[in-house]
Amino acid sequence: MQTSKSPVTPTAPSEGFGAAALFTLAAIVAGFAIELLTSGSGISIPRWPANGLFLSAFVSAIAAVGFGFREHRLVGWLGGIPVGLSLIVGMALLSFVGGVLPQDPAPAGSMVALFRLNGMFSSWPFAFVTLLFLFNLGLSLLWKTVPFRMSNLQFMLFHGGFWIALACGLAGTADLQRLIIPLYEGKESDVAYEMPTERPVRIPFSIYLKDFQIDEYVPQFALYDPATDQVIAEKAGAVPEVRKGARAVWPGIASATVTDFRPDALPDREGNPLPANGHKGVPFAKVRVEVPGQAPVEQWINGGGPEIRPQFLPVGNYFVVIAPGAPKAFRSNVMIRSSEGGHRAAVLEVNKPFDVLGWKLYQMGYDEKAGRWSTMSLVEAVNDPWLPAVYVGFFMIMAGNLLFFWKGIKKMEAA
Amino acid sequence: MTLVDFPAIAVATVTGWGLGSVLQIPARKSKPAAWASWLLMTGATALLAWFLASYWIALERPPLRTLGETRLWYATLIPVVGYLVEYRWKIGWLKYYCMGLATLFLGINLMNPDVFQKALMPALQSVWFVPHVVVYLVAYVLLAASSVAGWHNLWLEYRGKGSKLSESMSHYLALLGFVLLTFGLVFGALWAKEAWGHYWTWDPKETWAFISWLAYLGYLHLVARKTDVKVLQWYLGLAFLVLLVCWFGVNYLPSAQNSVHTYSGAS
Repeated sequence: MQTSKSPVTPTAPSEGFGAAALFTLAAIVAGFAIELLTSGSGISIPRWPANGLFLSAFVSAIAAVGFGFREHRLVGWLGGIPVGLSLIVGMALLSFVGGVLPQDPAPAGSMVALFRLNGMFSSWPFAFVTLLFLFNLGLSLLWKTVPFRMSNLQFMLFHGGFWIALACGLAGTADLQRLIIPLYEGKESDVAYEMPTERPVRIPFSIYLKDFQIDEYVPQFALYDPATDQVIAEKAGAVPEVRKGARAVWPGIASATVTDFRPDALPDREGNPLPANGHKGVPFAKVRVEVPGQAPVEQWINGGGPEIRPQFLPVGNYFVVIAPGAPKAFRSNVMIRSSEGGHRAAVLEVNKPFDVLGWKLYQMGYDEKAGRWSTMSLVEAVNDPWLPAVYVGFFMIMAGNLLFFWKGIKKMEAA
Repeated sequence: MTLVDFPAIAVATVTGWGLGSVLQIPARKSKPAAWASWLLMTGATALLAWFLASYWIALERPPLRTLGETRLWYATLIPVVGYLVEYRWKIGWLKYYCMGLATLFLGINLMNPDVFQKALMPALQSVWFVPHVVVYLVAYVLLAASSVAGWHNLWLEYRGKGSKLSESMSHYLALLGFVLLTFGLVFGALWAKEAWGHYWTWDPKETWAFISWLAYLGYLHLVARKTDVKVLQWYLGLAFLVLLVCWFGVNYLPSAQNSVHTYSGAS
């Protein structure tokens, strides 16, 4: 992607790599030394405006060094491919550690905690390597941008986009707020919780949960083996859906046919299912089971719910059971009232965040034990003031990538 | 069409690839044999593509959720790369590797059959799901082909039969793969913001996607430094191992226990 970004062009392709590798290694060792001296406390990025001031000073430093000492051999080397490539390798190696070891709390005093191998992406070695990489990338970007040449547009977009996304994404982590808001049906709340500390935070709006709904996939029926706590494999390799006429064959054991199906019902006094209103019903299926050498048995079974015990159909040492369908969609119907007095109705659903006063609200979860009868909804509120800058970086990367593709195709055709 | 039909489709596909490959020998001198060979090879791939499309319809969701489903896409797409390379560069050997790799992946699916499962968790029900995964899969296919080409080029070099054309082909496959890898990474970040609240959380899968991307970024910078072609072929040959870790190896790493990306039914 880079062609000749350094003003000092080495004579051999390998020239400068040894020193660059040592330079990267020194940065990593220095970072780990700081971690060791501070018992793996990691780096904490300052919040706005300090992070903004630091970033401005960093950009100014790159510009001053890049323009002021452009012809200097050391500066040429600092902005060259060998240093860039060594830092890429350094970043990849540190990411490798972070990608293999769990990034979770580790016992204090352990090697993992002392070197912050369990918090690699907020560690000093990673910060040093990333800062030096941004310096290297910044210098090369400067030299490719001034004087402006249209032929360098792809380089500018791709590398510039990467610089902006990386720098703003990292600087912005300090200002990123991710809060959890537990909501209960029929109640209003303006209290959110920071995780993992669970510290309560008052948010500039309140949310009233009118209704929480879950849509489920069609329930399935299966042959359950209580001895192994496993479901017996069906002949067709599927867990069949409960619908009238559906048939399952468990080779050598039994076959079953659904002769009737009530997706949302409650039992009467005799145990027969009657259609239910609201959310309280459960799926009922009438199943006819045939075991070789025995008379067929037909019986209603259900998956159970808050007010009904589940019913199974015994087949030897096994049971024919109804398994509830997996959640298909879940949503919260809410009323949002801002501190400024306005109120808006909204539906919060997974993949459909809702914007309010600079925050994005996400449908996050619910009471999984209660399943589709949950009256509690977990909503996440996210405020990321640096997001527009990061997105500018992303779109520049994509534009540069498109040009790279186009240039690559043209070169390939010419080859 | 469901998984009940998969063994027959897989056997028919591999038979088509095998017979087509064998017919390539008389095809050098006989036009009818050449036609029959290409008909068998492309027909077998079309059969697999047809199965994939029918399976998509039967599942009522894109078959991109489980590891087995991604292997099915991979097995369908990689022979196409081999055929296109032959069409574009007149290099015939790559298609055999591609069909061989596809056979291996079909074999893994036969030994670890998926369960027919229509459910798709709400977070995956997004307009980003298909573009993100398909772009990544095509990138993986191209980079696998570049890796295989790298190894073959080293073999040719060892035998004193190194070819500039073949080295150029491995480079362009890697270049196209990198372009798609970049799109896949950015699409994933944009989707993550909509579904999970943040575009980047250093989830193990994201970390490995970043490492893979850096690996090929490194390759392109080595090319820009006019590095020795032999070193570049070694690099391409080995770089794909990083992608394999990202694709399914990450499921077995200690870090994966809290990943939101672990494939369901990983086998």
